[in-house]
Amino acid sequence: MHKKMAFSFPDEVLEHVFSFIQSDKDRNAVSMVCKSWYEIERWCRRKVFVGNCYAVSPRMVIRRFPEFRSIELKGKPHFADFNLVPDGWGGYVFPWIAEMAGAYPWLEEIRLKRMVVTDESLELIAKSFKNFKVLVLSSCEGFSTDGLAAIAASCKNLKELDLRDCEVDDLSAHWLSHFPETYTSLVSLNISCLGSDEASFSALERLVRRCTNLKTLRLNRAVPLDKIANILRHAPQLVEFGTGTYTADVRPDVYSDLAGVLSSCKELKSLSGFWDVIPDYLPAIYPVCSKLTSLNLSYATIQSPDLIKLVSHCPNLQRLLVLDYIEDSGLEVLASSCKDLQELRVFPSDPFGAEPNVSLTEQGLVAVSLGCPKLQSVLYFCRRMSNEALVTIARSRPNFTRFRLCIIEPKTADYLTLEPLDVGFGAIVQYCKDLRRLSLSGLLTDRVFEYIGTYAKKLEMLSVAFAGDSDLGLHHVLSGCESLRKLEIRDCPFGDKALLANAAKLETMRSLWMSSCAVSFAACKLLGQKMPRLNVEVIDERGPPDSRPENCPVDKLYIYRSIAGPRFDMPPFVWTMDEDSGLRLS
Amino acid sequence: MELQLGLSLPSTPIFPFKMLDLNSYGYELREGLGPFGINVNNNCDSCSSSCSSSSSGGADDGGGGTKKRRLLDEENRIVPKTLPLLFWTNQRPNDEDEPKDVDDHSSSAIFKNDGEGLVGWPPVKAWRKKVRRRVANVRAAVENSCGGRASSSTYVKVKMEGNAIARKIDISLHHSFESLTTTLMRMFDISDENGQKSFKLTYLDREGDWLLAEDVPWRTFIGSLKCIKLIRSRC
Repeated sequence: MHKKMAFSFPDEVLEHVFSFIQSDKDRNAVSMVCKSWYEIERWCRRKVFVGNCYAVSPRMVIRRFPEFRSIELKGKPHFADFNLVPDGWGGYVFPWIAEMAGAYPWLEEIRLKRMVVTDESLELIAKSFKNFKVLVLSSCEGFSTDGLAAIAASCKNLKELDLRDCEVDDLSAHWLSHFPETYTSLVSLNISCLGSDEASFSALERLVRRCTNLKTLRLNRAVPLDKIANILRHAPQLVEFGTGTYTADVRPDVYSDLAGVLSSCKELKSLSGFWDVIPDYLPAIYPVCSKLTSLNLSYATIQSPDLIKLVSHCPNLQRLLVLDYIEDSGLEVLASSCKDLQELRVFPSDPFGAEPNVSLTEQGLVAVSLGCPKLQSVLYFCRRMSNEALVTIARSRPNFTRFRLCIIEPKTADYLTLEPLDVGFGAIVQYCKDLRRLSLSGLLTDRVFEYIGTYAKKLEMLSVAFAGDSDLGLHHVLSGCESLRKLEIRDCPFGDKALLANAAKLETMRSLWMSSCAVSFAACKLLGQKMPRLNVEVIDERGPPDSRPENCPVDKLYIYRSIAGPRFDMPPFVWTMDEDSGLRLS
Repeated sequence: MELQLGLSLPSTPIFPFKMLDLNSYGYELREGLGPFGINVNNNCDSCSSSCSSSSSGGADDGGGGTKKRRLLDEENRIVPKTLPLLFWTNQRPNDEDEPKDVDDHSSSAIFKNDGEGLVGWPPVKAWRKKVRRRVANVRAAVENSCGGRASSSTYVKVKMEGNAIARKIDISLHHSFESLTTTLMRMFDISDENGQKSFKLTYLDREGDWLLAEDVPWRTFIGSLKCIKLIRSRC
């Protein structure tokens, strides 16, 4: 007894020590050392991260962490971004807001991804949390500008309002005027996803003028180019800026105004927006280019020569998002100019066209991999690839942590040898030992999965489409990838065997998505019955799965671990498999 | 640091994959054999036919498992065809007539052809697609009398002077005259510079007038465009 006391610190000391530990993983580790550490840690955890809103109930979270100030929730699976999750599937945030509103009024930050947020939820946030500071909605939907007006009107201490890639019902742009004239605390505002054609510029201007701490401002497409100068004039302290539409009749006065105002923004590090760009106005940003670390040109439909000129002015670029108009030639220039490049995303300008409309091939990716020593994250859409290129890329850039390649036509073979791309992707996983995220495409057999299972020991997220030959492929991944948390598969011939043989693995992962594969309803039922800590959801818009023979494949399958049990907010086309699934299906 | 819960399956593994030596499979894909020596081309014509014997679901203590265990004990033997390895739904009756190449799984993928081919492919965020389509919405209710299509379509008829055949182009994919002209040049096979310079882009607007595209801003063009004509410039 005495020995124990001699070695234990007072709680306050431990709490102070824990306050330096911010990462969730570390906090989770701390909480498992012993019971007293668990207790101390849970009382002083301030930020909670819930990767799947259905894995745990709001009440459970609040019970365990009674004093958190910040919560991050994720809802729909990633493939919802590509319309693979039917509308109405779920991911409603309201129950969370309702529970938290009741529990304590001092919540400060809410970050949501792929969730359904209603105006009612926003109004409840505005009403319930007096010191509310940060609202980040990423790929969310279900709300309108009315909800935003409520937030603007009531949250006097709001610092951050970030709507990225959200679908907002644009009822009126005048929600911005709901920020009271006394409100000055805004630090970050991202309204780039709003569409309203009549934006209230004067309200925006006044808001920017009085919020002298504003560091991030991302405008929406409706803000015309000639209005930007007026807005920027009052915010020379901006660090991140997103333009609205970047086109206008070419007028020297507008140009010089814009150029002048931009060059007075000495802190500017990140630019985005650039919808409808016309090249004539691009040189206006040259003065700030040398300091830019992040540039998002993914909506800029300008051609390679203009992109090359722009990119050559940005030697300190770390992050570039661009359309494939940049072409191989532009990527070669990027490789020689931007030695600090860490992240590159090249999006397709014509994803549904049958023919290539630009000269962007695997060569561009090879050039950047060879030329940029710090490159670690890539998202690349192209129309052809070779094993040789992938091997070169892997060898020259073993520091990749995220490698996402999308060859636009499914099952495209190596264009030089006509073989599958197994060896190429195999090289990626073999050389890039810290790879955490991988997306595959092209013609792939079970062999690539054998490589992945053998080498990709740090892989946390894998996306697979139109690949593999048999259950063996899936088995390699489930049995080999020790760090796997998220697996999403579409249109692959993976069926029951691998899934059932690796059922235990599924409890160590956040989730598994399989659509247009070959998993039978019988297997789903079996999994649901045998694994009570997994929610096995069958999503099928054709009708109840038991109206077809049991060995018929289900359309979509979403399996995730949960301590909250099956959910009850499912739409008619989602069925959960559990012990009572036989009874539930009528 | 995740807690490894170290779960084990129920005592009789349903499919004891781990007992199997992965190396013994080889990749005999060319012969159309899967890992169990079963002909993977054996398509389930309708799901009811081949699986009648296991229709009780095998839900209890490996009742269905006994059949499968026999399968695995006799790795080297051909397995009875009552239990094919893969099940395919009969989504498209027409595809049944095509010879099934092992590497070609296209008939198994559920294609939803709503004008875009596969759903959700390529994996471009819905948000990005919307950005492109908004160009079409800007021109709201365009009565495309040249093409006679419904107003929600973003396709516009394109004719070239001296060329009898009219083509169609998806205008929502373009945001500038540059990209439009590039595409048009490719479409009508005008590859050289001289060729490009000898044509002018004109369009029929909502009022029924033929206008020179280069005279107006892109937004105006898109907003009142009905159809396009490439005419030879007479300088």
